[in-house]
Amino acid sequence: MNPHPKRELLAAGALAFLFLFLMPALNAWAPENSLLHVSNFTINVWGKYLAYGILAISVDLLWGFTGLLSLGQSLFFALGGYMLGMHLMLMIGKLGQYKSDLPDFLVFLGHTFLPAFWRPFSSFAFAALMVLAVPAVIGKVFGFLAFRSRIKGVYFSILTQALTYGASLMFFRNDMLMGGNNGFTDFKTLLGADVRSAGTQRTLYIVTGVALLCIYFGCRWLTRTKFGLIQRAIRDSETRVLFSGYAAANYKLFVFVVSAMIAAVGGALYVTQVGIINPSEMTPDKSLEAVVWVAVGGRGTLAGPILGAIVVNALKSWATRAIPDLWLILLGGTFLLIVLFLPGGLVSIPSQLRRLLGRRPKAEEPSTEGPAPISKASVS
Amino acid sequence: MPLFKAPRLLLPLLVCLFHLLTQRPSLAAPALQTIAKAVLLEDKTDEQVALLETMEPDPDVAKFLNLWKEGGIFLWERPDQTKVAVVLAEQKDAEDKQAATLLETGKPLLAADGKPLRLLASDLTAAETDSTLRETMKAILDLAGLASSEANVRLQSVETLGMEQNPARLPLLLKRAEKETDPKVLRALKEAVALTQLKDESPDTRVLGCRMLGELGSIRAQDVLQALAKESDGAVQRAALGALTKITLHIQAANTFGTLFRGLSLGSVLLVAALGLAVTFGLMGIINMAHGEMIAVGAYTTYVVQCVFGPGLQVSPFGLAMSLPGMRTTGWLYDCYFLLAIPLSFLTAALAGILLERTVIRFLYRRPLESLLATWGVSLVLQQLFRLTFGANNVQVSSPSWLSGSWTISDVDFGWNRLFVISFAVAIVQGVFLLLSRTPLGLLIRAVMQNRAMASCMGVRTTRVNMFTFGLGSGLAGLAGAFLSQIGNVGPSLGQSYIVDAFMTVVVGGVGSLFGTIFSAVGIGMTDQVLQQVLGNPVLGKILVLAAIILFLQWRPAGLFVTRSRSLDN
Amino acid sequence: MTQKTFLLSAEGVNKSFDGFKAINDLNFYVEKGELRTVIGPNGAGKTTFLDLITGRTKPDTGRIEFEGVHDLGALTEHAIYRLGIGRKFQTPTVYSDHTVFENLVLSLEGSRGVFASLFFKLNPAQKDRIQEILETINLAPHAQRKAGTLAHGQKQWLEIGMLLAQEAKLLLIDEPAAGMTDEETARTGELLLSLVGKHTILVIEHDMVFVRQISQGRKVSVLHQGSVLCEGAADVVQSDERVIEVYLGRKHAR
Repeated sequence: MNPHPKRELLAAGALAFLFLFLMPALNAWAPENSLLHVSNFTINVWGKYLAYGILAISVDLLWGFTGLLSLGQSLFFALGGYMLGMHLMLMIGKLGQYKSDLPDFLVFLGHTFLPAFWRPFSSFAFAALMVLAVPAVIGKVFGFLAFRSRIKGVYFSILTQALTYGASLMFFRNDMLMGGNNGFTDFKTLLGADVRSAGTQRTLYIVTGVALLCIYFGCRWLTRTKFGLIQRAIRDSETRVLFSGYAAANYKLFVFVVSAMIAAVGGALYVTQVGIINPSEMTPDKSLEAVVWVAVGGRGTLAGPILGAIVVNALKSWATRAIPDLWLILLGGTFLLIVLFLPGGLVSIPSQLRRLLGRRPKAEEPSTEGPAPISKASVS
Repeated sequence: MPLFKAPRLLLPLLVCLFHLLTQRPSLAAPALQTIAKAVLLEDKTDEQVALLETMEPDPDVAKFLNLWKEGGIFLWERPDQTKVAVVLAEQKDAEDKQAATLLETGKPLLAADGKPLRLLASDLTAAETDSTLRETMKAILDLAGLASSEANVRLQSVETLGMEQNPARLPLLLKRAEKETDPKVLRALKEAVALTQLKDESPDTRVLGCRMLGELGSIRAQDVLQALAKESDGAVQRAALGALTKITLHIQAANTFGTLFRGLSLGSVLLVAALGLAVTFGLMGIINMAHGEMIAVGAYTTYVVQCVFGPGLQVSPFGLAMSLPGMRTTGWLYDCYFLLAIPLSFLTAALAGILLERTVIRFLYRRPLESLLATWGVSLVLQQLFRLTFGANNVQVSSPSWLSGSWTISDVDFGWNRLFVISFAVAIVQGVFLLLSRTPLGLLIRAVMQNRAMASCMGVRTTRVNMFTFGLGSGLAGLAGAFLSQIGNVGPSLGQSYIVDAFMTVVVGGVGSLFGTIFSAVGIGMTDQVLQQVLGNPVLGKILVLAAIILFLQWRPAGLFVTRSRSLDN
Repeated sequence: MTQKTFLLSAEGVNKSFDGFKAINDLNFYVEKGELRTVIGPNGAGKTTFLDLITGRTKPDTGRIEFEGVHDLGALTEHAIYRLGIGRKFQTPTVYSDHTVFENLVLSLEGSRGVFASLFFKLNPAQKDRIQEILETINLAPHAQRKAGTLAHGQKQWLEIGMLLAQEAKLLLIDEPAAGMTDEETARTGELLLSLVGKHTILVIEHDMVFVRQISQGRKVSVLHQGSVLCEGAADVVQSDERVIEVYLGRKHAR
């Protein structure tokens, strides 16, 4: 995919400069009415896109690189959001509707004291730890069971779909004490700062961007190690991997847990910027939507998912306002066409064009069904 | 010591018949005179009660007593200041006046000039009743119910009398029991007799009552028996406790059977929803996420057929106004709409499936994960199309009368729609089985599914077989839709609520095994209902079922029925 | 009584699929350093036997031992592999999306742990070893090509190369000559012969020319209906009446 590592670094640097420095700077310092001003709304929207980008990478790490189509990523994303959300709920303090120390919904349900499992969440550090730990543990347990019994391919998808569905049913319940239907919202402060102020939102945006950048490079490193080789080997022929002496289940479990944590980070950052988390973020459909981003952007690459998340969500923002009736048809239709006619996604367009325009495809090259993954490992 | 003479059965029946024919109160029986007399006594409750208690409880009396209770008997003052009891006809004329009938004689009330009098209800005072009087009336009414020609009315009055535990009623109940032919009423009579016996002076009779109640497994007697067990001692207490144990066992048995029945019917729902999937997923390896929408296609087809039989239908997708004229049928003809809806649902969904196969699926035969994604795209599009065509809200599909009703056998409810669900599932399974095993198409389907390449080499036109197989799977989904429309809501996201369950059913059963699907559907249905019964919470039960399925797959990763294959890497 | 330890021993092994007895009371022994060829008609249970050794399926009854201590029936595929049993599949099974070089890296003997794989670096000795193997299997010029683009025969060799990289004690080779040209077949034979002594090799083959080429008077086992029909040198076996009957199906006398 990427024969020019220098060019990639250059591009990443340029984008990082644009999004992580220029945009926030223009938001903070360019005068309101000047052409260069970036509005708070824009910052907020892009912060959301970048958080989605993190989710998309987690989907791709599984699907694109390991061949595991997990429909559980929205669960981990939402869990990350919920964990930080618990902290944010406690930080509301007496500023809620009921002027109680308890989160409003608990008061509403008739609770007079904070349930034990809520208590440690008043510490930000604990909540941040849980953002990673809870999805990791759930991912580990579920993954262990699933991979041990060699559930793979579409079975894995169906089972993760069931997991997500079951979890969303649980979170919809009031006696889960996680806010039921309405989830968490009305956040006030985070680490002492007003979450809704422009300054905090800008900071959160930058944090999201940096997190995305770190995750991007982290995954880039991961997929280029011998682990990455095995990962792709599992995707292409899992049985053969077993006969090369690798316990494929362990590798899948590792990458499943890692991507659960990545999704959770995305979810936590998402919640701070969107200001609400509820069980509807947890449904299998949300996972599938993230899969759409990856497919649209380009499966099996790392830039693709980010691009896909941004493009599809920008399209969604526009379409849900301009043609609300047709949005789902547009989404479904786009997805359908991409799966059928552009399996490499948007990032494969340049190479497709090049092939069309200039060089004829080489005769001996087999038609690549799936998208081309990174070609050269750094093992030599 | 009988307070009443034996009810004369024939006369009241004849009277009743006569009434039905003439449709107006015209009986000049002594009973009516008594009632009229009682009405005129106005405030003298004691006398009224005494008077009423001399009456024979026949259905006709019941009718007028009810009328009295509801304030339908009026007092009219004659010009000579004497009062008479009158009943007003239902029809009102232009001045809101109603024709009046003299209660005593059942004849029209005549003015001095001999013309029928018409009265204004608001000018009259309604005959009043106080609580003592109403109680008396109720007792008479219940007794009257005993003689009713309708089993349901008899049942109700027997049950009421039983709970009264009035020893005075015992002879009457016994007498009725001799004549009773309806088994349900007879059982209720035994129960009532036994309940009444509990109040008897002799301990032996009380013990007898307890034993009978225990044998009957009488749920309603529980409280009474508990009280009796506390109050009394010795043999009666033991008998009461023994009866309570028996009743508890009976309740448990009834609950268990009820749960099993509901489990079976839920299993059938799952089976019907999953059977199409078992064909497309199991036999073809296609993950059709739009399967749920195929179910919805069937359900909406049923809705459209219903509308055509009824008031017609106007839809306007994309602003295109379309309207279907309605036939405005009623009664049994309207009830027949469902019989037509079943095959049409199958056909519509099958055609939609074939269209889907031709345009999308056939490009994805070797890429199951991609087929999952592409069909999800299709499912989004279809859902939105439903929304645009039929609106975002649920549409109203009414069940034909022959599907709404139930049988109660030994305290277990057997709803007709659930029974229908079960027999429908059996029929569909039978049909699919016959199709696959006895028809040329079935042979081809099995051949292609086992070895596509080989079948193709043998001259089987695999593309056509694929098309038909997918059409069959979708058609079955459509059937499921027709059928789910009878027991649940029909809306754009109908399919979504079944898709996860359907996939689970197929996976647990073992992909590629129709038998497995049957077993797993019934198994999951049962488990779900049992958990629901034990936990008392449907959502928790569902979550546990999902967890149980994940654990089950630990034990049998390939499902219940494994279709073995010796080829590497599939 | 002297108890001789075999490298691989199978005793009283049975395996059936849906009532079909693929392996029927099989007793089979391989000594260390042997090159054993197994022949047999279709459905004799040859491939199933390899599946049983490598853990792809588990025996219904009986015991398969490796080095006299390891019960292969109780181990998973990857654990069996790590004991030093390598398998070349009937149809070439290589990582077609990886380069030839990467294929060998994946097969290289060494830790198979997740965390080791994260921080794995090829050391010079390993690089040399890979180069050596590439030359042995004649694929040195193609090291950076994707394995999927190789010719059929080259894939077969790559797969053998992968077994070499693994430093397997026991090589299980399933029909190496299938689908090869005569020339390729001959070279494959040479390749296998060059490994004798360094590895114990079990070859399953149909092609009698090839069998004679590689067995060179060594023991050949004939499998029929899931058990060993007879054993001996290729020529002896070929003239055995029962074997002829089984292969040509003259009549069913027994």
